[in-house]
Amino acid sequence: MEKEKISGIQLFLLLLGFLFGSTVILGPAMGAKNDAWLAIILGGATGVLLMQVYVAISLLNPSKALVDILREKMGKVAGNIIAILYIWYFIHLASLVLRDFGEFICTVTFPETPMVVVIAIFAFILVYAVNSGIEVLGRLGELLVPIIPLVTLIISLSIITVRDFTAFLPVLENGMSPVLKAAFNFVTFPFGETIAFLMLFPHLNKKDKLKNVVFLSAVTSTIVVIIVFFRDIIVLGSDLMSRSTFTPHLSSLLIPGLNIEPLIDINLLIGGGIKISVCIYAAARALSQITGIDDYRKLTGAIATFCVVLSIWGFGNVLELFIWSEKVWPYYSFPFQIAIPLLLLLLSLIKKGKSPNAGTKK
Amino acid sequence: MFRYISRVIRYLSLKNKNENNGAVTVENNNEPICADLKRNLQMIKEVMRDSSDVTIHEFNFGHDRRFRGALVFFSSMADRQEIHENILQPMMFGSLMLKEDVDMDFTQVETIKRNLISVTDCQNISLVSEIMENLLLGATILLVHGSKEALAIKSEKRKTRNIEEPGTEAVVRGPREGFNEDVNANISLIRRKIKDPDLCVEKFVIGEKSQTDVYIVYLKRVANPKLIEEIRRRLNRIRVDAILDSGYIEQFIEDAPLSIFPTISNSEKPDKVVAKILEGRAAILVDGTPFALAVPMLFIESFQIGEDYYSRPFLASIMRIIRFLSYLISFLGPAIYVALTVFHQELIPTSLLISIAGGRQRVPFPAILEAFLMLFTFDILREAGVRLPKAVGQTIGIVGALVLGQASVEAGLISPFMVIVVSATAIASFAVPAQTDSSTILRYLFLMLAGIAGGFGIIIGLLVLLVHLASLRSFGTPYLWPIVPLNFYGLRDVFIRMPIWTLSRRPSAVIWSDEGSYSQGSGLMPAPPGKNEGNSERKERD
Repeated sequence: MEKEKISGIQLFLLLLGFLFGSTVILGPAMGAKNDAWLAIILGGATGVLLMQVYVAISLLNPSKALVDILREKMGKVAGNIIAILYIWYFIHLASLVLRDFGEFICTVTFPETPMVVVIAIFAFILVYAVNSGIEVLGRLGELLVPIIPLVTLIISLSIITVRDFTAFLPVLENGMSPVLKAAFNFVTFPFGETIAFLMLFPHLNKKDKLKNVVFLSAVTSTIVVIIVFFRDIIVLGSDLMSRSTFTPHLSSLLIPGLNIEPLIDINLLIGGGIKISVCIYAAARALSQITGIDDYRKLTGAIATFCVVLSIWGFGNVLELFIWSEKVWPYYSFPFQIAIPLLLLLLSLIKKGKSPNAGTKK
Repeated sequence: MFRYISRVIRYLSLKNKNENNGAVTVENNNEPICADLKRNLQMIKEVMRDSSDVTIHEFNFGHDRRFRGALVFFSSMADRQEIHENILQPMMFGSLMLKEDVDMDFTQVETIKRNLISVTDCQNISLVSEIMENLLLGATILLVHGSKEALAIKSEKRKTRNIEEPGTEAVVRGPREGFNEDVNANISLIRRKIKDPDLCVEKFVIGEKSQTDVYIVYLKRVANPKLIEEIRRRLNRIRVDAILDSGYIEQFIEDAPLSIFPTISNSEKPDKVVAKILEGRAAILVDGTPFALAVPMLFIESFQIGEDYYSRPFLASIMRIIRFLSYLISFLGPAIYVALTVFHQELIPTSLLISIAGGRQRVPFPAILEAFLMLFTFDILREAGVRLPKAVGQTIGIVGALVLGQASVEAGLISPFMVIVVSATAIASFAVPAQTDSSTILRYLFLMLAGIAGGFGIIIGLLVLLVHLASLRSFGTPYLWPIVPLNFYGLRDVFIRMPIWTLSRRPSAVIWSDEGSYSQGSGLMPAPPGKNEGNSERKERD
């Protein structure tokens, strides 16, 4: 069905880049303060499970993208409506990441440049990348994503002189509830967002690798996030950490005698870029399938423009953005990330049980 | 009224055209050669009446001189000595010696070919148009009275250069011979290196007027048949008057004609071309030029040179890395300098920042304009220096050094740091000659981006560049292979050059089957005798 193919390692790196996304500048699960590492482990474990749900959906409906699955399992009308909601969700997600990116660049690197310029230039490149096809996206991921852990490693090693290894104590100072809340946040951002990859899984050239690829990428990203957390809390201390906007950036500023701030920019460009282009691709692809347009490339420009506008108009300032993404985003994305996929999995399992030759199909 | 006039004009012009057509019938139609020698010669003279270098020599032969024949050739192209010794002499004197009772019918050219003349390469032709074709290729035409066929005898004499060391790709260690303008000599150079019946040489004739010979040279069973088919298809669709250089072919068949990156590699050195053929690529040789093309091209080929493989791997690997770095410097150098000094001063160590600021104190221009001025001057100097005679070229060097270096700094036009940056860039750009066009263009683009948006602009530009590179393909092969799509085996010969005995597989992006994937046996690491005697049995070539 899909002509363009990506290899296992390309999908792994795309997923990794997507999961790093804007996590590399925001530091997830900060609501739990000292205990964020617990939240990250809990959330990571749940996230791995959630992503396996997506994998299961994809494996039960081989070589079908999200829209086809929705339409097949839920009927044409309901399927199309939910698919349109998903398109909106992808666009919203892309605009959110774009705004994160714009805020970071405009706060840190270019305080005097209008944010729309930064965002528009970035969106323009991403449209070019998406239009070059999923294969090119895969190759870009292969080329660029390894840079992110590398940079993280460089920064972590560079600030090894500044340390307070006991900063994450005491454990569970405020009880379990903030930890659970932060863990839930961490599941929805970034793990649940990989629902967009249901549009990409059919491109994988070897289906049997899918499970391992997804599992490995989720585990790797969790580990990197934990390392980043420990680095940040060791360097900054819990108080300063919970008050900073862009935590990894702040800790990179503490490297003695050297300024490697642009490296964080590069991390964000790569991670955010991959996240946004995957979202734009998923939205454009889904829309083209719903409307019956043969080539999704006709839609990418329009969708990206919409994302840019939404990212500018959606929020007044950076604090509003943060509060919204912490307080509203998890519940807003609950149906898209958890409820509907679980329903889909259930429906797929039922249909599979009914159909007699389902076993051979798989 | 006007309509009448126009009709008359049209009638007249048509009539004219028809008359013209009548005059050149000989050239166009496929009229057979007639038995009458006089008429045939008349016809040839008619067509070639404006070419003064056509020689028509009529003569009698046979033991009683009763046969009449004629030789037609271009005196400018044919080898007179060969004609005298191997065609005329046997025909006129050799036939004289024949006994009278040997009654051979010399009105048949086949008999002449078999019995009289001592030339290997002759061909029976029966059409007037064929006469013209062969004549223009440098053949000598033998016409005999009473025969409806003629002989086209290869007697071409070509003046070509000797095999010399090529000017563009000098080496310290390795073969020094280079291709020259004669394609047959070039093919012989390749055949001398690959003595294998699998080496295929396919001929194409391209160019309506130039009738240039174009050859595809490849190794059967190693090169991908689909690749060869694709090359044939692309070559066959070329419709052009003349092919003057392989560059014409390159521009007609390349994958990304609008990209600044070349997707077809070229070389003047037989050893390099042979290495590419052995890796499963196809070479395209064009008559009249020493530059052979090779497809598919990978981006990393620009950084691999023959000498990497001829010298031992350690220095070669370091030079590889240096070449990659110099490519980056060659288009990012000025951009990074401008971005640092204008946008990101905080990234420069303070003491250096102070001395840069000191150097820029007297400079009236913004850094980006300064950089543009310098790069522009450098490009002018380079362009002027390339085509000058050597004696004048030195003057350019001195003037350039004075203008670019000392005078501009002393006059306060340019800061000394800019001179360092631009000269480093210039030197770096010569380290990777295969990518000179892309690095020159990119240098200006990145400088502009850096001037507009600093480091952010450079990174944005790099992203676009990477997307572009990742989307390029050369005859179906991803351009950035083996970096993306990642191939660990291929990486043995990218940033470092692993020892030659570890490189036993051909690049998997180029080859097509398991059969052709090994170029040498495994386990060839040399070991002194006695050591690991038990397990160092050399495995047979796979």
